[in-house]
Amino acid sequence: MNQTQSIPLNDPFGKATNGKLGMWLFIIVDGLSFAGLLIAGGALRAGGAEWPVAGEILNIPLTAFNTFLLICTSFTMVMALNAIQKGDQSGLSKFLIYTMLGGILFLGIQAWEYHHFILNNFVLTTSIYASVFYVTTCFHGLHVLSGVIYIACILRAANLGVYSADNWNNVEILGLFWHFVDLVWILVFTIIYLI
Amino acid sequence: MDDHKSIYIKNAVWLAILTLLEVGVAFLSISRMGQIVLLFAFAATKMMMVAMIYMHLRYETKVLQWILFIPIPAGILFTVALMYDIPFSWVG
Repeated sequence: MNQTQSIPLNDPFGKATNGKLGMWLFIIVDGLSFAGLLIAGGALRAGGAEWPVAGEILNIPLTAFNTFLLICTSFTMVMALNAIQKGDQSGLSKFLIYTMLGGILFLGIQAWEYHHFILNNFVLTTSIYASVFYVTTCFHGLHVLSGVIYIACILRAANLGVYSADNWNNVEILGLFWHFVDLVWILVFTIIYLI
Repeated sequence: MDDHKSIYIKNAVWLAILTLLEVGVAFLSISRMGQIVLLFAFAATKMMMVAMIYMHLRYETKVLQWILFIPIPAGILFTVALMYDIPFSWVG
């Protein structure tokens, strides 16, 4: 008797492909890594570490702009998926390029911010607050960098005509990762910069 | 303009508005607890908007949605437990 025929394949997950489920699983694990960093920061703060008030050291208007930029890249990423679902290959490439440029600009602004802080002697070893700030934002920055490289790989395949109205699963998986990077920044911005 | 595109644009606009409100709340002279509650409420709303609309989580099955949401209260529980432990960290 062939028992595999009676097992519904991926039924609880609907039409989600294995690749998509794998990315969701990665997102859960990665989200817990960020939670670990943010909870550790919260515990150090509650434990009596010296903490500046919002805007005393960090540049909130600039980072709010960076947050807005990341939101815009989430929009361009979802538009890239929307384009290829309709078979628009040039639209896919165009929106992927916009998203990549947005990610590079985000990293550039973050690097400029770090440079400014280092010039003002606000470095990793300055205080517990500085350590929490640099570790958390660098960890996020590495995710943005990974995302930019990931987009470049998908963009290359898109330019070779790999994706079409019937084949866009990899674009959707890339989108999940990029939106997660945006989603987690919302929490990092609130906890590290605003509270 | 197709329906999806219009939803995506509206979502981006609302996310930008909520970000501006968040920055405003950070400089508002209200009680510290009120400020924290408001900031977390705005952040949670924005995260839900990204997950539900941009990540298309609202189109996924209930099972997948539950798998993703269950770690959140667990994380909050661990945080609260850790915070209660901090006043006694000097012991031993």
